[in-house]
Amino acid sequence: MSISEQTLAESRELAGRYPKARSGIVPMLHLMQAEVGMVNSDVIEACAEILDISTAEVVAVATFYTMYRMRTEGGEHHIGVCVNTGCGLLGGDALYEALAVKLGVGHNETTPDGKFTLERIECQAACTHAPVLTVDWEFFDHSTIAEAMDVIDRLTAGEEVLPTRGPAVRGWRAAERTVAGLDDGLADEGGGVDELMLAGLKVAKAAESGVDGTVKK
Amino acid sequence: MSTTSHEATGSDTPTVKMITGTIDGTDVTVPEGTMIIRAAELMGVEVPRFCDHPLLDPVAACRACLVEVEGMPKPQPSCAVPLGDGMTVQTQLTSEVADTAQKGVMEFLLINHPLDCPVCDKGGECPLQNQAMSVGRPESRFTGQKREFPKPINVSSEILLDRERCVSCARCTRFAEQIAGDPFIALLERGAQQQVGTGEEPFDSYFSGNTIQICPVGALTSEEYRFRSRPFDLVSVPTTCEHCASGCSMRTDYRHENVMRRQSGDDPEVNEEWNCDKGRFAFPYLQLERLATPLVRENGQLRRASWPEALRIAADGLAAARGRTSVLTGGRLTMEDAYAYARFARVGLGTDDIDLRARAASDEETDFLSGEVAGSCGPVYRELESAPAVLLAALEPEEESPIIYLRLRKAARAGTKVFSLGPFASQGLEKMAGSLVECVPGDLATQLDQLDDETAAALSQPGAVILLGERAATEPGAFAAMSRLVQRTGAEWAWVPRRAGERGAIDAGCLPGLLPGGRPLTDETARQEIASLWGIDPDELPATAGRSLAATVAQIHADAKAASEAGEEEEFSPELAALLVAGVEPDDIPNADQFLTALDSVPFLVSLETRPSEVTARADVVLPVAVVTEKSGAFVTWEGRRRPFGTVMPQPTSFTDAVVLALLSDYMDLATPPREVDDLRTELGNLGAWQGSRVSPADVPAGSAQQPGSGEAVLASWRYLLDLGTMQEGEPHLAGTRKPAVVRISAATAAANGVEAGSRVRVSTDTGAITLPVELTEMAENVVWLPLNSPDSQVLVSLGALPGDTVRLERGDV
Ligand code: SF4
Ligand code: SF4
Ligand code: FES
Ligand code: FES
Repeated sequence: MSISEQTLAESRELAGRYPKARSGIVPMLHLMQAEVGMVNSDVIEACAEILDISTAEVVAVATFYTMYRMRTEGGEHHIGVCVNTGCGLLGGDALYEALAVKLGVGHNETTPDGKFTLERIECQAACTHAPVLTVDWEFFDHSTIAEAMDVIDRLTAGEEVLPTRGPAVRGWRAAERTVAGLDDGLADEGGGVDELMLAGLKVAKAAESGVDGTVKK
Repeated sequence: MSTTSHEATGSDTPTVKMITGTIDGTDVTVPEGTMIIRAAELMGVEVPRFCDHPLLDPVAACRACLVEVEGMPKPQPSCAVPLGDGMTVQTQLTSEVADTAQKGVMEFLLINHPLDCPVCDKGGECPLQNQAMSVGRPESRFTGQKREFPKPINVSSEILLDRERCVSCARCTRFAEQIAGDPFIALLERGAQQQVGTGEEPFDSYFSGNTIQICPVGALTSEEYRFRSRPFDLVSVPTTCEHCASGCSMRTDYRHENVMRRQSGDDPEVNEEWNCDKGRFAFPYLQLERLATPLVRENGQLRRASWPEALRIAADGLAAARGRTSVLTGGRLTMEDAYAYARFARVGLGTDDIDLRARAASDEETDFLSGEVAGSCGPVYRELESAPAVLLAALEPEEESPIIYLRLRKAARAGTKVFSLGPFASQGLEKMAGSLVECVPGDLATQLDQLDDETAAALSQPGAVILLGERAATEPGAFAAMSRLVQRTGAEWAWVPRRAGERGAIDAGCLPGLLPGGRPLTDETARQEIASLWGIDPDELPATAGRSLAATVAQIHADAKAASEAGEEEEFSPELAALLVAGVEPDDIPNADQFLTALDSVPFLVSLETRPSEVTARADVVLPVAVVTEKSGAFVTWEGRRRPFGTVMPQPTSFTDAVVLALLSDYMDLATPPREVDDLRTELGNLGAWQGSRVSPADVPAGSAQQPGSGEAVLASWRYLLDLGTMQEGEPHLAGTRKPAVVRISAATAAANGVEAGSRVRVSTDTGAITLPVELTEMAENVVWLPLNSPDSQVLVSLGALPGDTVRLERGDV
């Protein structure tokens, strides 16, 4: 089995966080994928063994969520372009097309040098900043084609790339560890909430306290 | 088998609350919690359905069953919404909304369904076909591209899946998870590509065939039946499975004198709607090479003979050996055929040497079966289901009586606590969430005596059950120890044989010292009852208990020795001059070699068989008999329940064992005994239960496990459900789902013997050796387990050893 002892130990720790160990399958798959680069037979068997479930049950979960890479290794960086309604209309579709041309790959494909995997992704709950580009799941808000090209160039050159918010881009596998719920100590890096995100909340609060006057409880 | 009454459980049965709702304008009163679809059924209203199955938890996956419920904004799935008190429901019969909703769902389901009906196994018995006719549109409005998948994939070597036919009802996956406990198939790729599939392992479940039967479309098929017939070309006959003492009700479908398939019957008291893959798929053996005519031996060679010639020779040979013949009936006969042997032995052959056990047995067991099991009725499946606790001793239900396993798993899911005395926690035990009480072979009696207080307390609850497997025969003192435990706890108990014919043969009197109906040979009243039934004088019945199979073999060897010592001139008269053998497979018997040499040296051997075997090869006269599909009769379940079945394919040229024995009686100038199944059954039935005193089992001291030296271990072994059994021959796809043979030892035992994970282990005796990959298992130390009769692991033949014996253990060649 190609999963390291450390990852197996961390996986057991993740499983132990839940009243029922099997609930740990989602973070565990992310964690193992961070090491292996995909969900392959080793990952499936290791999860099944730790959680005492069948491999079919692991595959059922792993094939449900698009964030798991089933049996194809992910590149060094994951490039996501939201193409849901909000982002798509506001430039996401064009952004995706431009990236596809630049990288020479299509949806869910990885460049031959293993550097980038491109994916059309679904709504990231960042519609306020549409269109959004994600690199290793960090946000590039209101992204433009020019910015996207620049991001790719700088990543290719190995330069540090800062997203709109959150810590500097670290590579997909490192990000996957964070997604798995392991503390990366970077929670406060690069700021987070901005005015746009809070706009809706403000309207709602105002309506509740009757300040606005248009919406009455 | 009742020592105490457990009626007490009845009093705590919670009273069921009844509620009344209205369906299609008619009031209906049902127990609270009844789903609308079930309540509608009770009134004769059939709502369409695919995912709904009464024995599976509801999921409301297919939406075919939508009905209108007053006060609810949208149509509701009637399979998953319980009828409420005062609820008003309208089905498609009275509601436009429900009707339109159902039609809409059907249209959606058909969008992706291929036009496979003309080549689909399910065509003609397909719920989708039927409901498309009743609820669907005459013509499709869909003009797009349907989902396509490569045609079928093997989810196991036996089960095939055509994914594009699947309507994602999740019946198969729910069955695998909820009923069998083998969730090796799941709904994968949920979304537009949703499909059933496996993970890294195939769907090797002993119960996998049930998914074919409950799939509401033709998505799941078997290699065995695929493309072989159309349902409307089949003749279906209700039958009973001949493979084990679980006693499944089945349906056998045949065409042109060939069995095409077998399905599970629906019997809520026994197998509910399930059976195991052995019962379902292991029937091709019926169609393998049969014995076509009688055979007689001439100049050392068997040659074909007419019935009159063969019967004449057999009758003369047996008549000459009157009082000196032994009868071995095997454990696969119907109760009626077994009864014919029990009678023929005593009346026709003047012998009490009769034994149905073609397996490891003991005198202690003979007493126990005669004294406690014969003619008794023990706890039944439903009582297993309601038992607070069940102790398994020398029994692996999933391997040895699969429907007990399914019932216990169902029970365990509802709270029954299962305990098992065995060397390790088997997969089956884990799936029943059971607890292991570690027990090394040989130690069972001691462990039963020393059962810890907690387990004993669990067994002391009203309704608790102890199930003792047939392997207890190799555990010295186990029967007496179980009786002591029954006294200590007041638990119910039952003895569980493996073969379908054992219980019936015990009831019919195929044991030394045991007359039919549980009557002891040595009891005067019993002798009188039997003698008058058989129209003979009680004095004509054998006076003393006869020989078991083992004693028979020993006697023949002793005779042979005496004969060789007697020298040429002296006239030597052996104690045993003839053997009458039915359906015995020598490899099932401990010391098969000795058994075979006994067959070689016994002066006269008559074999009643269906197929050529090692016994027929040694016989002086071979008389062919009917296979199970050509006769009627009854098997008796482990519970003592009779499971009568009718003839599937009448075959005028094949005779039951009972008919052949009656013909032999004629040729021996004896009064003709009853030969028809109904007459035999009536005669046995008229006998009634024995009320007199019984053989009281000897109080045998509890045995304890052997103490292996270094490089040795105590042998533990039992059969896998799917193994090298002769009745599984001819079905390679089923064989492909067998569990692989491995040697199990604990990590400590492995280390002590230089064995590492991944290496092979050689288990040996003076007779021979078996080398298999090791599977390090949490289990008792200095115990080694391997399957009893699997490919590369034929314990009886290769090792000549029995569970409890000491064997050598070492690292095997890589
Ligand atoms: S294969 Fe059959 S039983 Fe299984 S989900 Fe599909 S339609 Fe249902
Ligand atoms: S459980 Fe036993 S009786 Fe039932 S199908 Fe299997 S072998 Fe036959
Ligand atoms: S549509 Fe792109 S983030 Fe919501
Ligand atoms: S039968 Fe009710 S939803 Fe499938």
